[in-house]
Amino acid sequence: MISFEPTEDQKLMVESVATFARNTLRPKIREFEKERGVSEAVRKTAHELGLGLVALPEAVGGAGLGMMTAALLEEEVAWGEPSAGFAFGGPGAFGFAVLELGTTEQAKAALAPFTAAGGHSCFGAVAWGEAKANKERPGFNTTATKSGAGWTLDGAKAYVVNADRADHFVVFAQVDAADGWRGLGAFLVDKSAKGLKVLARETTLGLDAVSFGGIELAGVVVPDSARLLGGTDFNAAMVRFFARNALVVAARGVGLSRAAFDVTREYVDSRKAFGKPIGHFQSVAFTIADRAMDVDAGRGLVWRAASAWDTYDAGDRNARDEKDCLLRSAHAIAFVHEAAMRCGDDGVQLHGGAGFMRDFPVEKLMRDAKQIGLCGMTAEHADQLAGAVAIGAPIDPGLVLPTPETQNAFV
Amino acid sequence: MPIEFSLTKKQLEMREGIHGLAKNVIRPQSLAWDRAGGIPEEFLRNMARLATSMGSNAMRSGLGDETDEVKKEAEKKRPSGSNLFGAIASEELAWGDGSLLLGLPGPGLGGPPVKGSGTEEQKKRFFGVFEDLEGAPLKWGAYGLTEPNAGSDVSGIRTSCRKDGRHWVLNGRKCYITNGARASWTVIFATIDPSLGRAGHRAFVVEKGMAGFSVGRIEEKMGLRASETAELVLEDCRVPEENLLGGEEKYVSKEGFMTAMKTFDNTRPLVAAMACGIGRGAYEYACDFAKHNYMLSRPVPRYSAIVERLAKVGRSLEAARSLVWRAAWMADSGLSNAKEASMSKAMAGQAAIKACIEAIEICGAEGSIARDHQLLEKWFRDIKVYDIFEGTGAIQRIVISKRLISDLKSF
Repeated sequence: MISFEPTEDQKLMVESVATFARNTLRPKIREFEKERGVSEAVRKTAHELGLGLVALPEAVGGAGLGMMTAALLEEEVAWGEPSAGFAFGGPGAFGFAVLELGTTEQAKAALAPFTAAGGHSCFGAVAWGEAKANKERPGFNTTATKSGAGWTLDGAKAYVVNADRADHFVVFAQVDAADGWRGLGAFLVDKSAKGLKVLARETTLGLDAVSFGGIELAGVVVPDSARLLGGTDFNAAMVRFFARNALVVAARGVGLSRAAFDVTREYVDSRKAFGKPIGHFQSVAFTIADRAMDVDAGRGLVWRAASAWDTYDAGDRNARDEKDCLLRSAHAIAFVHEAAMRCGDDGVQLHGGAGFMRDFPVEKLMRDAKQIGLCGMTAEHADQLAGAVAIGAPIDPGLVLPTPETQNAFV
Repeated sequence: MPIEFSLTKKQLEMREGIHGLAKNVIRPQSLAWDRAGGIPEEFLRNMARLATSMGSNAMRSGLGDETDEVKKEAEKKRPSGSNLFGAIASEELAWGDGSLLLGLPGPGLGGPPVKGSGTEEQKKRFFGVFEDLEGAPLKWGAYGLTEPNAGSDVSGIRTSCRKDGRHWVLNGRKCYITNGARASWTVIFATIDPSLGRAGHRAFVVEKGMAGFSVGRIEEKMGLRASETAELVLEDCRVPEENLLGGEEKYVSKEGFMTAMKTFDNTRPLVAAMACGIGRGAYEYACDFAKHNYMLSRPVPRYSAIVERLAKVGRSLEAARSLVWRAAWMADSGLSNAKEASMSKAMAGQAAIKACIEAIEICGAEGSIARDHQLLEKWFRDIKVYDIFEGTGAIQRIVISKRLISDLKSF
């Protein structure tokens, strides 16, 4: 049966998170921006609400509430502060990486620190991006070489969310150079590992409370048990990780879009020009209507994808359901990122000069909108993935990895 | 009922059945109907029989005198969530051919105003003509609102009516009336005095053969050529007073006008669903073309631009579908959905037009040649009107924005 109504439990959770977002997050957005992070007290509250572990299964220490519940709650949090979901503490992308790529035992052990007391100050990170593309071959510059009973990692990673906060990393590196994007491996690396250096935090366009940075790996040795093999098909597991993680980012994008829409709708109601509220002029009103469609349709796509993941997880994780997850996630991700940007941009535009001023939140939301589209999978990558599924092409990890190689026309 | 997007087993079976029909029976004849400018009556009769056997109430359109038992029986036949299933069925049928649904015998768009505003006697009389599907010739109803100088601005209608004894005398012209020439009766909107605005409007059921009621020209159209679109002429047309819809007392308030509008809340999602069906046809065609013309010899990423275009079309259609389903689900749940119905229509019309244009471009110059890609060429012509009839995109935005912006009564 098709239904758009959350369960009673979900409604209660949404209400409590919405209250938290309205009363605690939204009033502090400029404070978070200035502090470049979310204060410890707020992170504690978020941890008590269990926000970091919603989607992860109980078997690995999560709340087991599924992707749909996560999507609902992430939207509410991001409505309050788009950075918050990334900056609360908790496993974040790391959680989905160990879930999709690791064994249950690996995931359970890796996630244990996040469920314990003090979890609000424990961060995870996944390091995939690199500052420079490899000009010689497809794949990453960072390599993992077999050495004795373990692996030696060498290279540098960039654009890593929470690089300077994370205690635990999943690092993607080239295991087999000849195999290009199909020759990658994933490794659990602790911050304390010898040879790992956290690089200086970057200053970014938006999402000021999120930390973006890099790590250097100089002869970092990890045991064999730190390698995440992704079950029987590492490449498929890797694409699932990217899709699942980016879908959560898209759910945040919906919250951001709605926030920009809400403040703008309120503004056009109250701002008067030529003797009436500016919202009573058609070009303004129609823009509001278009952005309302963006918010609602984006949410519909995110829900549809989240529902596909919950079906996949509850079933036998078969290939057909997997493709459905990938296609629907890709649709949602690309649509929401573009829609969020339209909501931010039109939001500033309809505020006029006021929109450019930091007295109003909308300029921040516009900056956040561009930034959030770069946190998981870009709209372009999502489109490549969706297109590949639609025409039955092989699902190559290169489709979704943020490197110029995705656009092979440029190689 | 949690948020869910899967169909019940019965709904899936019905959808597959309808899709099979669309694929094997409807689509193969679609071009011939387009060229002939109509669909053979025997085919329409079979389709109507089929619809009735599947529990559709299109033929009876909720006859007022249904006993509870009859209603219960109809409910049993009809899948629960009839608006939603109507949307799904409409998408499948339009995937086969866009004109077919518009040409099906029955009250058509004339149904809702008679059902909503007619007296019991009128409902019985006007719906009664559709009862006999077998022996009698096929019958249609129609909806006559648009005039040469009044379309979306319904308050501008100039067709006049004045009381003369026990009759009303109507004068004016109606245009772009679907099934207008063959309709057994048409709901005609007229005014007793244009200066009264909405309060002056009256709705009549004007029957074929009434003195002074004639068919003007049958329009030649860009697309949907198998659907009949006619001009209706009223020259001192004498309509008995018992054909004034709802009787005199109905017009003490502004309801007369509202009758015209209520028609659309339920039909817009269906029209939007049809647009999704045509757009999906074009999208699938283009995916298939890309697959067979590029895939075999070269790797897809070389054609990342084409893949990306396909993905954009795919996600826009999916976004529109999510709005369609939501609007239909709201109707089934008894929630008022004027805003959401308009959203679905606004987004689906545009997404489907884009899909049809892109499909032609992806298939290259050949896409526009009727000989080689006949359906693409036809869909391109058919789809444009989906952003026009049942309210243009601009009208949908008026409906939406009035429900988002405070105190916005009119522009």
